[in-house]
Amino acid sequence: MAIGAVLIIGAGIAGMKCSLELAQRGFKVYLCDRSPTIGGTLVQLDKWFPDNHCGMCQILPIFSRDDSSQFCLRRGLYHPNIELLPLTNIEAVEGDAGDFVVTLRINPRGVKEERCIGCGLCSQVCPVEVGSEFEEGMATRKAIYLRHPLAMPNSYVIDWENCTQCGLCVERCPTDAIDLSAEEGIRRLEAGAIILTTGFEEFDPRPWTQYGYKRYPNVITSIELERMLSPSGPYAGRLIRPSDGEAPRSMALLQCIGSRTKERDYCSSACCMYALKEAMLAKERNPQLDVHIFFMDMRAFGKGYHRYYQRAIKDFGINFNRCRIPNLKQDPETKNLILLAQGEDGGIERQEFQLVVLSVGQVPSPQFEELSHILGIEPGRWGFVSTREFSPVNTSREGIYVCGSASAPKDIADTIVEAGAAACQASKLLSPPPNLIGPKAYPPEIDVSEEEARVAIFLCHCGEEISSAVNMEEMTKFAQGLPGVVCVENFRYLCLKDDLEGLKRRVKDEKANRVVVAACSAFPYHGLFVEAIRDVGLNPSLLEIVDLREQLSRVHPDRQQAATEKGKRLLAIALEKVKGQEPLPITSQGMEHRALIIGGGLAGLTAALSLAEQGFECHLVERETGFGGNLRHIYTTLEGGDPQALLQELTKKIEENRLIHLHQETEVVAASGHAGDFEATLRDKDANIDSIKVGAIIIATGGQQSEPKEYLYGESERVITQRELERRLVLGELDDMRSIVMIQCVGSRDEERPYCSRICCSQALKNVLGLKGKNPEIDVLVCYRDIMSYGFREEYYSQAREKGVVFIRYEPDHKPEVKMEGDRLVVEVIDPTLGGRLRIEPDLVVLSPAIVPNEDGTLANMLGLELTEDGFFQEAEVKFRPVDLLSEGVYVCGLAHSPRDMTETIAQAQAAAQRAASLLCRERLESGRVVSQVNERRCSGCELCISACPYGARVKDEERGVVVVIEVLCQGCGACAAICPNGAAKLRGFTEKQVFSMVDAAV
Amino acid sequence: MGKIAILEVREGKVLDALSRFWHELLEKGLVDALLIPQELGEGKNVVQTLVSHPQSLERPDPLAPVLPVNSARIVSQMTKVAPSPRKIGVVLRPCELRALVELVKLKQASLENLVLIGIDCFGTYSVSDYGKLAQESSSPTQDFLKAVKAGKQDPSLREACQICEYPTPMNADLVIGLIGVDVEKGILVEARTPEGEKILEALDLKPSDEKEMARREEAISKLVAQRTKKRDEVLERTQSEIYGLEKLLTLFAPCINCRNCKTVCPLCYCKECFFDSPTFEVEAEKYLGWAEKRGTIRMPTDTLLFHLTRMNHMALCCVGCGMCQEACPNDIPVANIFRLVGLKLQGTFDYVPGRSLEEELPLATFKEEELQEVVER
Repeated sequence: MAIGAVLIIGAGIAGMKCSLELAQRGFKVYLCDRSPTIGGTLVQLDKWFPDNHCGMCQILPIFSRDDSSQFCLRRGLYHPNIELLPLTNIEAVEGDAGDFVVTLRINPRGVKEERCIGCGLCSQVCPVEVGSEFEEGMATRKAIYLRHPLAMPNSYVIDWENCTQCGLCVERCPTDAIDLSAEEGIRRLEAGAIILTTGFEEFDPRPWTQYGYKRYPNVITSIELERMLSPSGPYAGRLIRPSDGEAPRSMALLQCIGSRTKERDYCSSACCMYALKEAMLAKERNPQLDVHIFFMDMRAFGKGYHRYYQRAIKDFGINFNRCRIPNLKQDPETKNLILLAQGEDGGIERQEFQLVVLSVGQVPSPQFEELSHILGIEPGRWGFVSTREFSPVNTSREGIYVCGSASAPKDIADTIVEAGAAACQASKLLSPPPNLIGPKAYPPEIDVSEEEARVAIFLCHCGEEISSAVNMEEMTKFAQGLPGVVCVENFRYLCLKDDLEGLKRRVKDEKANRVVVAACSAFPYHGLFVEAIRDVGLNPSLLEIVDLREQLSRVHPDRQQAATEKGKRLLAIALEKVKGQEPLPITSQGMEHRALIIGGGLAGLTAALSLAEQGFECHLVERETGFGGNLRHIYTTLEGGDPQALLQELTKKIEENRLIHLHQETEVVAASGHAGDFEATLRDKDANIDSIKVGAIIIATGGQQSEPKEYLYGESERVITQRELERRLVLGELDDMRSIVMIQCVGSRDEERPYCSRICCSQALKNVLGLKGKNPEIDVLVCYRDIMSYGFREEYYSQAREKGVVFIRYEPDHKPEVKMEGDRLVVEVIDPTLGGRLRIEPDLVVLSPAIVPNEDGTLANMLGLELTEDGFFQEAEVKFRPVDLLSEGVYVCGLAHSPRDMTETIAQAQAAAQRAASLLCRERLESGRVVSQVNERRCSGCELCISACPYGARVKDEERGVVVVIEVLCQGCGACAAICPNGAAKLRGFTEKQVFSMVDAAV
Repeated sequence: MGKIAILEVREGKVLDALSRFWHELLEKGLVDALLIPQELGEGKNVVQTLVSHPQSLERPDPLAPVLPVNSARIVSQMTKVAPSPRKIGVVLRPCELRALVELVKLKQASLENLVLIGIDCFGTYSVSDYGKLAQESSSPTQDFLKAVKAGKQDPSLREACQICEYPTPMNADLVIGLIGVDVEKGILVEARTPEGEKILEALDLKPSDEKEMARREEAISKLVAQRTKKRDEVLERTQSEIYGLEKLLTLFAPCINCRNCKTVCPLCYCKECFFDSPTFEVEAEKYLGWAEKRGTIRMPTDTLLFHLTRMNHMALCCVGCGMCQEACPNDIPVANIFRLVGLKLQGTFDYVPGRSLEEELPLATFKEEELQEVVER
């Protein structure tokens, strides 16, 4: 029996996402990181492409929302199944897949977490000042510090390297939390699987002296720019020149620093996009700023990225200089930087900038080599973890998986997908998950619904922090005089165990049935207080927390009288709220423990198998005869894999798996319901109708190659597509070819389809190398716009050039011209290097047509889903929920989502399957406590609330003309209550009476 | 037959000509019933009636310059529970049509099986003023049309009508055109939808010429310009009357909390008003508490809150029919206040209530980039 626990190494976004997926699936998760906090590189960034928002919280669970009790992921990660292990390194791994024993070495924090209240007094007295890693050295921190202000756990940590052991902090600490003699610890734990999510490090550009980093003050890295642009950063979001602190008037971003060189012949995949983002954000801050990006290829290949690129040009006026990345010199007087850029035509242009930003690439973390020895896994190219083409998240050792930038450089969106895939592989190995001993057993709830409100009020002084700014005596007297209050008690540190026990005793003694805790921000200790009142048998909704610290003592430290008055109001408001509070139940609905997968291509097959191998029943519907979709037409891959063998293997597994019901030549003609409870109607070729009930739906309807409308396609037999070329190449029909011209971006990245089809460049490279492999003498010329050989594909681009393949770039308004002159096929193209027109008479012209989705809107309509402007399915959030669709319980993978290659499709299908699995594994679906309700007598059925609800949790009961709530989908945001004109839509826990009395208490 | 036809008027008898038109609709079975204003009783007033037999169509007079009820409310009442199973021709003024469109968007009415017949509107009198006119004349409608033809503008028309910049129907199947038309010779009938065209084809009407239409267009723009100017003047006055909390309180001081304004408003569609809910049933202790805190509290409480809340809910959809002001027993210029706020609010979202069924309600639409100027402030 496998051990139902997973160790995740690295608590960046990949690790967090993996943890949440596995925790929701029912596994115990150990999430370790060598740093004192979680979040990795991600928390240093404020906003992300391609929407310039933060959306990290989107990976938090939608269902059983109360479990996580958090709203911002920057602040930390709470889930009863996840145990965080900060400051932890891996010492040894023994055992085999399903049964590993891991030895961990835990660096001492020097601060006892259970006693640290995050007051920061230690940091104030610490005499040591060093550069802050979080602020990239642009600000300082002390030797006892918090990594960043939102850090959770918010307990401080000692930087042993710089600590002088002076002991000032020990003296100052009000809770005796600091222990300078703390020693490192060793822990052994059992885990069935291990997932590596160690991410990347930014390339250090110091050795590349031609860019003057750290020599010239006005040369900074992209991550430094991120911090600079962050409102919470070292300059409060102001863009400045480090040399003089002035706002720069011009800025240049240099791409490919540390990438695409001989030493590192790979593309870091994310830099083009983050450079676009940083350019736009900088321009937003300072519209006069002249921004130039110096680049070789603009690799905007992801979903929506090309549009983002166009926005940068059109809406933001960012200048793009395509050239070899120029070296730079500093003007010693002005400290400006002089760039000598060699354009495509060979001409040299001198440009001067006030600030230069180096877009640094991703490199593997230096500790990684050692870790791979400990884990016994094979390191791969360039020091990243080695994976295989058709198993993108498996390492060379069974039971150890990898995702995110640890295996190859990638952006957040692709990382999140892989995190889902890695969670899926681990779940398959360890299924079924163990019966974890429930989070914690509580005494049965006391029924207080019929009782008069008896409120206990607890005031926490936070040492002296609150009591020094607020007159607590006066507050106490005031609270005692309020109606319904049975006791008021003061505590020094309610977050510490003794005081918390005191609180519980008092509630019991006074037979209080409502509790108000006036302490610090509700964020860190909400869970603690909820636990306390559940321990004494009260429903969690009968607790109200007032923030006397962040909202009071820290804001008005010098105005005691006014602060005390405000404190009284805050107390009175909370009292009114809690007095009118009914104990709120959690409701639940049944679950259909099976999935419907629509589409039997590579994505659908992979998703079905991934679910079935976790023990879930699936219906796989394919409209054609036979499975495989596009996979049936692929014979080779860049990396040398055998797609046909893969197809055979998948088909065999699918046919043998008893949990998978196959429906060929069948279509889904109707669908209704919601997460956990869908009903779909299937119709086969003989018009037989079958109705099935499922809990989740995965859309894998795929896409296809579009039909080119130009370059004589369809008119001349000698103009073919890459797919046709591949077929002929395999059949050996091309042996007598001497010259071939390829044209990229046929129907992609134009007015009609402003998106990159992503796979065509790799496909062309694959075929080029195939042709050259068979006949090294063949002349191949590739007309391209930007070669999208991201990640490790770059190497193949280099190989092709080494083998003499000619790459000629064309602009969309000067496309290559293909014509017939008699029976001669002629291609004319402008050569940007030489300037003149090049005339070729090839044997074949090979086109790379755009990838278009198969979906025509029917399915989207049926399920209430949206399509993007380009007709692909619109995911719930482009970065953080890439496989979730806008209706809960419906997921997407493969070409139905966007163009992607086989490796990426497999990962995405596994991720989608995992999302479905973490829904289907629930016995029942539970709602939160604060959910919306309908007063049917008042409901006019105007449906305003339906349009306002972002979660699809409200539907009209057409027969009765009123709206009803699907409680398990409701997230308690209250948009419905706000838009409803007469309070027919209301939120549990925020009744009109409550809110009115709260307002009354406030004014 | 084109889309525009002329309904011939003999001997200047406009109402007779129209009466024939309404009869024909029923007789030829082009509609199964008509919702149409008729003179009732002694003719002191004209009210909406639902008629299904031509012989019951005794004194139809949709041109009578009076609007007792905004009929969008009536259509909603008839079609909300279930759409009409048979075809009803509903004869509506522009403001009624616009309100109806809003109600349809709010799922409070259904247009299924309705033929919308819109009539040009020169304005209306209050019910009592119309009653007086009816006592003095045998046909106030004829007199009114004559006065309009003579270019007279009656300052005793309802103010809401005088400042209404939508005198012609929007979203009608058929339009009865009067503006810029010599109604003593003929009335313009315009079909705007296939449904309207079908009806027009079935009637034996004379086709209209282009000149007639051009004249009409010109007259409409003139009237709209005139009313817009008047509107701006009136609303400017209103603005100066309500600016600041003091003035607002003074203006609403005569309010007796009768909520007539809510009862007659075509867009106050709530089944049960929030202000009638138990939320507002509070014990004496609370009242005393408020009085203690503030010194004085106005009784009954929440009168201003009522108006502000109502405004918050419907000002975006307000069509400016002015029914609220008509219903106010104490002459509070409710309609002007709502128009003032409504106009600014509607302008913010580039929304014209009743303009189109496709235009989404701004409150129910989420746009990521919207009202940036508010955010930046």
